[in-house]
Amino acid sequence: MNIFKREMRANRKSLIIWCIGVLFIVGSGMAKFAALSNTGDSINKLMADMPSSLQALMGIGSLDLATVDGYFGLLYLYLVIMASIHAAMLGATIISKEERDKTAEFLFVKPISRTTVITAKLGASIVIVIVFNLVTLLCSIIFVDYFNKGDSVTSEVVLLMGGMFMMQLLFLFLSTAVAAFVKKPKFSIPITTGILLVTFIMSVGIDLKSNLDGLKYVTPFKYYEAKNLLHDGRFDGKFVVLSFLLMAASILTTYVFYRKRDLHI
Amino acid sequence: MVKNSMLGSEEKYGNTLKVLVVLSIKRGVDKMNVIEVKNLTKTYGKARGISDVSFNVEQGEVFGFIGPNGAGKSTTIRTLLSLIHPTSGSATIFGKDIIKDSPAIKKDIGYLPSEVFYYENMRVKDLLKYSASFYKKDCGKRMKELAKIMELDLNRKIDDLSLGNKKKVGIVQGLLHEPKLIILDEPTSGLDPLMQHKFFELLEEENKKGATILFSSHILSEVQRLCDRVAIIKEGKIIKLEKISTLKENNYKKIHIETTTEIGKDYFAIEGVTDLVVDRHKVDFLFKGDINTVMKKIATTPIVNIGVEEPDLEEIFMHFYEKEEAYEQ
Repeated sequence: MNIFKREMRANRKSLIIWCIGVLFIVGSGMAKFAALSNTGDSINKLMADMPSSLQALMGIGSLDLATVDGYFGLLYLYLVIMASIHAAMLGATIISKEERDKTAEFLFVKPISRTTVITAKLGASIVIVIVFNLVTLLCSIIFVDYFNKGDSVTSEVVLLMGGMFMMQLLFLFLSTAVAAFVKKPKFSIPITTGILLVTFIMSVGIDLKSNLDGLKYVTPFKYYEAKNLLHDGRFDGKFVVLSFLLMAASILTTYVFYRKRDLHI
Repeated sequence: MVKNSMLGSEEKYGNTLKVLVVLSIKRGVDKMNVIEVKNLTKTYGKARGISDVSFNVEQGEVFGFIGPNGAGKSTTIRTLLSLIHPTSGSATIFGKDIIKDSPAIKKDIGYLPSEVFYYENMRVKDLLKYSASFYKKDCGKRMKELAKIMELDLNRKIDDLSLGNKKKVGIVQGLLHEPKLIILDEPTSGLDPLMQHKFFELLEEENKKGATILFSSHILSEVQRLCDRVAIIKEGKIIKLEKISTLKENNYKKIHIETTTEIGKDYFAIEGVTDLVVDRHKVDFLFKGDINTVMKKIATTPIVNIGVEEPDLEEIFMHFYEKEEAYEQ
């Protein structure tokens, strides 16, 4: 419990800054919707005229930007990228920092097993990720509701945030696994952010070239896309199963490799 | 091997058990080994590491671990603390395996690393409380006592402390749970002589109370003062394991003579004399053996001045090292 508390305290400041960032993105993003919605359907025409690669990169796809949920679906992609970066950096740092800051010689000579340390750190990062998600959810509900002139879309927002939570957990555990696996702690952040970037670009590529469709199982950015969630009104079962399998494998990797690890001091 | 099987004695029955009970009673008479290292090897690629290191540290002794930088002192200590895992070989502390029983062992270990690093943005008090929270006992009183002895201000931020003061935090942190085994890795760097003195007094006190101490250093004089036995490590291998008293009492005398007349270069080249330097009227050498033979030799030549000294460990050590090197070549 003491390690858990210590981690919560150590991450408090950065979590607050991230939450302010989310508040700003949701707020300013939805404020633009107010301007867009006055132009009627012309925004969809404008977007349709853009090159398809640009459309894919911006994550527009089949979203109807004239509706509040369609527009929020576009904003959702940016929130997901932000949340994924946050989760990946959190996971990589929380595991590597004892070695990076050379506090490993303090912590790991205490009468605790490495399993205990990992459990406390994973626990703390899950709580942090939940706080991040709840803050985003709250901001989204408030701002979407404020600019919405039609029927309530709160249930859609909650569904999307559920998808974002799955993405956060995925990248959190992937990055702890990478951090436990790599020999030198300073490489854990570059590698995890690298994975993030590659999987994101892959998801854009899949949108552009239909023959790459099989790759959608490889990149988590395809698991919980706004256009699918809004269209189906629920998660795709096979992606949920795949997510849980990936998470379980990552958690296992984290424990197994961290226990065997030669701490780099 | 016998000891290993004894550890698992609970599961065994009948005659085996009786024999083992007898053995353990007999063993209780002997001094128990707090640390037993058997053929410990750790290789990092091909570069650094230790190879085939074996030694025991007895209950209640102060054991010195001596060697130049990069000889493998820290590697050995970090392996004992299971911060890194051995490539081969094994070791036990308090009779328990260093890898399997690591958390249990560490309840009674206090460790002071050569360089101390702590979490950002913490006060000394907070860090010490955090450290104490890992041990299931009340360390508050001992913490205050130690801080008083080491003149450490508990309310300051660790980030603002000087190197020496950080080291003091490390000392208090390592001793506040009253460990039975204290492991020190080059503990005096950064401490001023006065604090060093207080720290050594503190260690002597802990040792009197029953704590065993493993003390690694490259400074021989501090080892000479505290330790009962030393292991000398060089390039990852233990090259000598000796009682400090034997090492010193090796009957080496450092003799300096000034004569009235110039004497022949070979005048003192008798058995037992090493490192002979003759500079006209002045003669210096180390002598080992029957002191009477050299005294008789000195008596037959008129002298102006004579000095007979116990060589310090440094000189014996250098002497030993040089010989070792010459032998290798």
